[in-house]
Amino acid sequence: MLGVMLLCGCSGIAPELDPYTLRIHMGAEPGTLNPITATDSYAHSINLKIYETLVDRDYDTLDVKPMLAERWEISPDHLKFRFYLKKGIVWSDGAEFTADDVVYSYDRIMDPKVSSAQLKVYYIDIQSCKKIDRYTVEFTYSRPYYLALIFCGGMPIVPKHIFNNGTDFNTHKNNRFPIGTGPFRFERWDTGKNIILVRNERYRGAKPEIRRVVYKIISEGSVALQMLKKGEIDLMGVRDIEWVRQTNSKKFTDNFYKLKYYMPSFSYIGWNSQRPFFKDRRVRLAMTHLINRKEILGKLLFGLGEIVTGPFYIFGKANDPGIRPWPYDPERAKQLLTEAGWVDHDGDGILDKDGKKFSFTFTISSGSKFAERLVSILKEDFGKVGIEMDINRYEWAVYLDKIQSKNFDATSLGWSDPDFQDDPYQIWHSSQIKGGSNYIGFSNREADRIIEAARTEFNEAKRNRMYHRFHRILHDEQPYTFMYTSPALAVVSKRFTNVKVHTRGMNYLEWKVRKPQ
Amino acid sequence: MKKYLVKRILLIVPTLLGITFITYLMIRLAPGDYTKLKMGMEGALKSGSISREILEQEKKLYGLDKPIVVGYVDWLAKSARLDFGTSRKDGRPVSKRIAEALPITLTLNIISMIIIYIISIPMGVVSAVKKESAFDRGSSLVLFILYSLPTFWVGLLLLLYLGSGEYLNLFPLGGFRSDWAAEAGILTRILDVGWHLVLPVVTLTYGGFAFLSRYTRANMLEVINQQYIMTARAKGLAEKKVIFVHAFRNSLIPLITLMATLLPGLLGGSVIVESIFSVPGMGMLAFEAILSRDIPVIMAIETIAALLTLAGILVADLAYALADPRIRLEAKI
Repeated sequence: MLGVMLLCGCSGIAPELDPYTLRIHMGAEPGTLNPITATDSYAHSINLKIYETLVDRDYDTLDVKPMLAERWEISPDHLKFRFYLKKGIVWSDGAEFTADDVVYSYDRIMDPKVSSAQLKVYYIDIQSCKKIDRYTVEFTYSRPYYLALIFCGGMPIVPKHIFNNGTDFNTHKNNRFPIGTGPFRFERWDTGKNIILVRNERYRGAKPEIRRVVYKIISEGSVALQMLKKGEIDLMGVRDIEWVRQTNSKKFTDNFYKLKYYMPSFSYIGWNSQRPFFKDRRVRLAMTHLINRKEILGKLLFGLGEIVTGPFYIFGKANDPGIRPWPYDPERAKQLLTEAGWVDHDGDGILDKDGKKFSFTFTISSGSKFAERLVSILKEDFGKVGIEMDINRYEWAVYLDKIQSKNFDATSLGWSDPDFQDDPYQIWHSSQIKGGSNYIGFSNREADRIIEAARTEFNEAKRNRMYHRFHRILHDEQPYTFMYTSPALAVVSKRFTNVKVHTRGMNYLEWKVRKPQ
Repeated sequence: MKKYLVKRILLIVPTLLGITFITYLMIRLAPGDYTKLKMGMEGALKSGSISREILEQEKKLYGLDKPIVVGYVDWLAKSARLDFGTSRKDGRPVSKRIAEALPITLTLNIISMIIIYIISIPMGVVSAVKKESAFDRGSSLVLFILYSLPTFWVGLLLLLYLGSGEYLNLFPLGGFRSDWAAEAGILTRILDVGWHLVLPVVTLTYGGFAFLSRYTRANMLEVINQQYIMTARAKGLAEKKVIFVHAFRNSLIPLITLMATLLPGLLGGSVIVESIFSVPGMGMLAFEAILSRDIPVIMAIETIAALLTLAGILVADLAYALADPRIRLEAKI
């Protein structure tokens, strides 16, 4: 007990908090901070402050704008992208950034010895990345694509002079000591505890007011919330139940901003259309009519979220806001099922057709609490109209295997599109049934045509009109029952001002520090 | 005795080979692999020709293209030279990751085991001697209530009430040292770590008393009913001497069986306690490695655990001979 008393005394002499330090909660520790080999979102959000790319996208309009490149030229056939780099940019160790760094980074991404599978798939359409002179690089694509500029301009760039020293790229020591050109510079990594960044005084642009950022690794979210309340964390994402129940006291709202905003993501129930039940559009539509999305939203997600009707970002232009969600309507569902031939012929309480019972398995990942609660509601509701449903739970790795091998009837998952790319090719084109993310087997000739044409349509308004039509097809076909888009929920200390939410989310580079009174 | 020891130690080798091979087999045969998981959901679902080629490249990088037996022999050859390879997650040597996690786990486990033993064994003895007394019944009730409280709940309650500052502000909200302590003196640093460890240790120990004290009680009861105890009493020995010299020493023999689990137990971390108190020990390391199929890390932890278990069993067998002269260790296995 003496030790404890002593230490309570000690904590009093702990240094005062520097008002210019921002402390951010991280739920898991990234493995590496090399933007070419890192995959987790935490590494990504830290790297965003350290490393830069050739072009950036505006935080509100999403327009492409210069970052490391001052301007660029696109050939009339949309295959060649020439970037003119800004001169005099330095890495945080003082060395100059040049075209060699860009070419080197591209070569590493495509290097079979580099563990970058997650990036390679995005760059396979690039034929070459050439240095024209010290400040000019040119990417050549093998086919035109409206996202090509964003892909090659957004390619991660690492310093050649640091990484090209003969050691293995995957285990290079600077993977855990990044050197970039961005507004912040890496300072220290205490494994299992903190990752600390400090302001990069060599940064060419406007310097942020925040001078030091501490990313705190706390795996238990509810503990992190206590730390936030105690003043040991300034920014964290919270869960819906915390948002609704634990962050509303006057003391809390006096000290913290509560920010709610939507990023492109949605959850859905996927019906495997290669299964006899779900081959029929009427059955899929009936399933949607049987799911009371409004009530589930209120019950399981505290009403935090919006019902979606398609895959596009609901506030984006590709989304057709004119499409209304199918209502909860069990009567209509029964009618559709009867039309499709599913009737209880033998009177055992379960629908059947051609001697086969309507009895299917819903496969979920055992880690998902939402899916767990969702399926128990569905099981009951489907049972009322004579559809029997079993539930299978698998650990994530096993689950993915089941889904990939199409060994499931129905499942619940979500997609997110953090880079606002919109392109439905990977999930919906019929060529992606074999070897892509179209694992439910959606195949529709008109949809295929639209998806292909949109990829080479460089006029945004025209492309969005095509996507509206595509959205309508999905709505009619119901390959998924589209569920919700859920908001990001964040709380931020009122020690900071100018805390704004943009289309792309928050950006602490623009935050101001409230002057201590 | 020497012969016995040599034979036992030699036997560890094939056993260890068997354990590691089966472990390796199981991870390699389990669905999902590191690269697919790393590529995320979209990546994992890709199986087209181009992405398959990329996946193959990446598998080659980690030796997953080789047949299982070859992969195992490769691993064996390296680990025989104490090279456990590099972790897939961060590209650092596995030995380094273990070296970071182990001290935390060891500290937590040693402290909590000492506390559990110091409290439960005397309680068990007293319960046995005063069988069916109020103390016996009361302690058993309390210990079993403690035993049945879930750790994640108790851990969070402790943090909320004693650490959050909403009620009391006695302890830190997790971690194992303060940021400011890095520059402090050695004594302050030790106290600081101790201060951080109070709540995790409480969480780790409270559920452990029930088993050991009941176990001791049962053993004691069996011994107390033996005839030699009656003899000891009959020849007029003081009750204290009867209990602590004659009875207690003999009741230790079954406790030795527990020692076999002690060594590997020191190494194993609790994922729940580590995650609630943000102390990144062996539990989290192993758990994350298994979920992400980080083979080098899984294999290293598994090997160490197997080795310690085998050593623990051997030590327990030797200790039997020490505690009970009737047991002779001979080399006829």
